[in-house]
Amino acid sequence: MTFAAAKFARLLPAAMFAMLVEFVTGVASSAVCGHLIGEDGLSVVNLMQPAMGLVSFFALLTGTGTSVLYATEMGRFDRRRASEILTQGLWSALMLGGLLLAGLAAARTAVCDAFGVSGAVLAGVKEFWLWFLPCAVLEPVMFFFASMCYADGDGRICAGAYLVQLTGCCVLAVPLTKAFGFAGCALGLGLWHVAAIAVLACHLRKKSNSLEFVRYFSLADTLRICRCSVGDASVKLCQAGVFLALNLYVVARYGETWLPVLAVAVAILSLSEVFDGIGTAAQPLASVYIGERNDRLARRIMVYAGRMALWLGVAIMAALLAFPQLVVWLVGLRDGALEGSALTAVRLTSLGLPAVALVMLLNSYYTFRAKEGLASAITVLSTLAIPMALLPAANLAGNINCLWLALAASPYLALAITAWYVRTVYGKTSWPLFLSRSRERKQRVFDLELAEQAICDVAAKIGKFLRIRQGMNEKRAGLSSLLVEETLMTVKERNRGKLIRSEITIDRNDPQTLTMTIRDDGEIFDLTDADAEVNSLRAYLVANIMTALPARRNMTTTGFNRNCFKI
Amino acid sequence: MMEIKKTTAEGKMTVAIKGRIDTVTAPELSAALQLDGIDELTLDMGGVDYMSSSGLRCLLVAQKELAQRGGTMKLIKVGAVVREVLDMTGFSYFLNII
Repeated sequence: MTFAAAKFARLLPAAMFAMLVEFVTGVASSAVCGHLIGEDGLSVVNLMQPAMGLVSFFALLTGTGTSVLYATEMGRFDRRRASEILTQGLWSALMLGGLLLAGLAAARTAVCDAFGVSGAVLAGVKEFWLWFLPCAVLEPVMFFFASMCYADGDGRICAGAYLVQLTGCCVLAVPLTKAFGFAGCALGLGLWHVAAIAVLACHLRKKSNSLEFVRYFSLADTLRICRCSVGDASVKLCQAGVFLALNLYVVARYGETWLPVLAVAVAILSLSEVFDGIGTAAQPLASVYIGERNDRLARRIMVYAGRMALWLGVAIMAALLAFPQLVVWLVGLRDGALEGSALTAVRLTSLGLPAVALVMLLNSYYTFRAKEGLASAITVLSTLAIPMALLPAANLAGNINCLWLALAASPYLALAITAWYVRTVYGKTSWPLFLSRSRERKQRVFDLELAEQAICDVAAKIGKFLRIRQGMNEKRAGLSSLLVEETLMTVKERNRGKLIRSEITIDRNDPQTLTMTIRDDGEIFDLTDADAEVNSLRAYLVANIMTALPARRNMTTTGFNRNCFKI
Repeated sequence: MMEIKKTTAEGKMTVAIKGRIDTVTAPELSAALQLDGIDELTLDMGGVDYMSSSGLRCLLVAQKELAQRGGTMKLIKVGAVVREVLDMTGFSYFLNII
């Protein structure tokens, strides 16, 4: 397994778990209210989906951009700037959350009345909305800390925080909803956010923490953060828009009684959050590689992510085609007359999931690739524009199943349109990752598990590669080889008995300079420190090499050592 | 890969080394440098295209052992890459390089 694959594999479970929790917590309210209150409960939570989507949009708007810009600045070895971005990210979460809270409070009555529902459902949605208001601030702050802990390589604490939230939404929500109805369910959402923030804050006290808040404020940076997030966050905004439109359409065309069936389809559409976990896992690594202009490794990470997205999309689709009743049971739909329609809704909507997985991955990628326009476009197309464009056709067909088919077809059409656009405007080779093959050809990557033989073999290969393939003079090629052997042996000796992986990139895009980046996942240690304690001949030689190479930098990134040398 | 050719006669040993002296191959060189009864050691480095700290350690141990009993060690035909390592570490100041 390569170093990049190992890091991706380490980040993936936490990211998938986080997104799965996000999905489950989203569906949990439906399930709890559906099971404890009945079909009215299901309708109320479904009507709340646009507001919930808006809050999630604001959370992503600050959290995603901050983590992307932070990782990119770390990729450029600019720690001070990264800390400024981090600090402004927190300010942004608080400011935007506050604005959203005020907006939701002001719009409550008008929006609830506009849904076109009445009686217990209208009263329920108003009650839920009121007690949901604190989430407008808490969710952005929670997501900010979760994103930053994750960007700092602490997947474990993220998983812990999400586990707390999951327990709250699925287990503790039950007594709260039983006791206080919709108010209890909504209040619980805020309480679990507070508990998750408390867990995430523990990361700041850990030794491996590299997140540092500084005295800084800049509205321009808030705009940068939002601009950088908007592609990823637009998924939520589009979903909020499409959920609102679907609610209004279904109530007007088929009647209020069909809202529970729509809730089932909405649960399937919400699965896009789970797929977002793959992009989330790839982002810290790919952002750093992109910051380094290491196109070869950025592509490697995205290929892993793409395969994972496709596999997961197909697997979930197959599971839902085989067992659609699981979703119907999960949301607590017990009306026999609607059950058959709900099962069909699950099957038809799930057909779009493989394409949804790829759309979500491309959305994340374009976001951290600073192609916000494209990220937003593919999301808007897939989630909002194409479904809305197909709605009249589905309406003409007069069968609600055509609506589910339209939702399933949308991501495939969005992928096709985006591919066509990118290939036409940016050139065929730009699709889908915008990475330069010519740049990659001047980069070479060596992966190894640290063992004496492997280290010496790689050092020899690098020397030979530089001398023969790159025409480098013997002295420089020999020094490069020596650097590899001595630094990796130092890392190995500092991590006795542990399996340590390393990744070495040789970049010759600047013909005058060789840039060598050495990563390892051992104990955090600055290899480039020429004043490090000399307690062996090897340490003495390493110190001398460092003195001979003035252009060198070290930075702990995503929880691993990264040392860069210009030779 | 490293090859060692050793000739010994009347307290004089000549060791011709070819290849890379690194962490893996250095123990082989160390084993070849058994200096019992040797007063004069000549290391022919003409075939050495790379040497790491493990190689330096072998040289240091041999130099120390010979110096303790009044023997001498010299390095001949040292190539540019090895010379760079010796210069960088200051070994060229106390080793006899010809």
